Amino acid sequence: MKPHRRKRLGIILFIAFGLSVAVGLTLYALSQNINMFFTPTQVAEGEVPDGQHFRIGGMVKDGSIVREDGTLSVNFVTTDFASEVPIHYVGILPDLFREGQGIVAEGIVDDRGVFQASKVLAKHDENYMSPEVKAALDASGASAENHMSLGEGGGR
Amino acid sequence: MWLWFAKLGSPKWFYELSTKWLPWLTAAMVLTLGVATIWALLYLPPDYQQGYTSRILVVHVAVAGTSLAFFPLMAVAGTITLVWKMKLADMVAKNAAALGAWFSFITLATGSLWGSVSWGTWWEWSDSRLVSMLFQFFLLLGVVSLRSALEDSEKAAKACALLSIVGCINVVVIKYSVEWWNTLHQPASPVSMESGSANGPEFWIATALMILGVYLFLSVSLILSTRNEILQRERKALWVQELLADTKSGRG
Repeated sequence: MKPHRRKRLGIILFIAFGLSVAVGLTLYALSQNINMFFTPTQVAEGEVPDGQHFRIGGMVKDGSIVREDGTLSVNFVTTDFASEVPIHYVGILPDLFREGQGIVAEGIVDDRGVFQASKVLAKHDENYMSPEVKAALDASGASAENHMSLGEGGGR
Repeated sequence: MWLWFAKLGSPKWFYELSTKWLPWLTAAMVLTLGVATIWALLYLPPDYQQGYTSRILVVHVAVAGTSLAFFPLMAVAGTITLVWKMKLADMVAKNAAALGAWFSFITLATGSLWGSVSWGTWWEWSDSRLVSMLFQFFLLLGVVSLRSALEDSEKAAKACALLSIVGCINVVVIKYSVEWWNTLHQPASPVSMESGSANGPEFWIATALMILGVYLFLSVSLILSTRNEILQRERKALWVQELLADTKSGRG
């Protein structure tokens, strides 16, 4: 390679490396702001400032969904299998919302420690399977989700 | 090896080689895209949670994955432009930017459709995967407009090359956003070889075919637009003049 070409290639690599480091450090510094939600454990440990609007993400605890008859009001508990936060929401829930499902809720914690959600979104995990497979896995108790919920002592 | 490299940079050589390859690539593209689409739309099993909505993901995953290839491709072409001043590399880079913008747009559109049904929202500004993909879309539009904004075509090529190299950082952010931070977007699925398990072959073979088909589509589109670019930029070259004369006499 000719010297002037080597020099130009060197400059390009230097710029690319320098910018990657700069972007990497910036993203690392901002990581708490980039995270979409707090986990119930983070909420329990007081990492969320009081009276602040935020998002919480976790699983819907098995057997915790309580609907109020005749209204769209629903109460449930979200858990990361270490801590739990009760959530109250009034509105239409996404189709994937169910017990054992990962969800992200947006809102604020009231004086009684209940998370008053203004929006509830359902997460989908990275596992796709047909209903037959799901049924077979449930029957054998081999699915990870089932395993975890059994660990929590929650039955279906 | 250097001789081969220099030869590859010759627009004439590329034009002649691509004339031979194009019919085969096009046939392979039509075949894979056709089989993948029919499979995905008619035979893909439903997901236990989403039902048939999961079929959108075959297209979404294939297009999204392919859209990540544009910045690395443009960065390699850009480095060749900056260091070796090879004309062909810039011709490829120019057309890749616009095509990449379309790929990003389709990724965002299909993702929104799926999200509106499954998540309960079209768009979340707080999700780093979604926002970094939107950023890639704007960045690619930026590369396209940067080129048309600069009148001096050599300067434009250099500026675009540099922006393409920088843009690669965002590709890494898109790829790992779902692992570095918590997001609404699910991480990439592991692939299982076992039929009848989660993420089994009945789900991913259609997606793998679709990915292959979309990559072939990318190649065919890029080759076609690069050939146009060659004819336009080299219109004064003897071989293009002769080619045009041949085509005219062939028709007349």
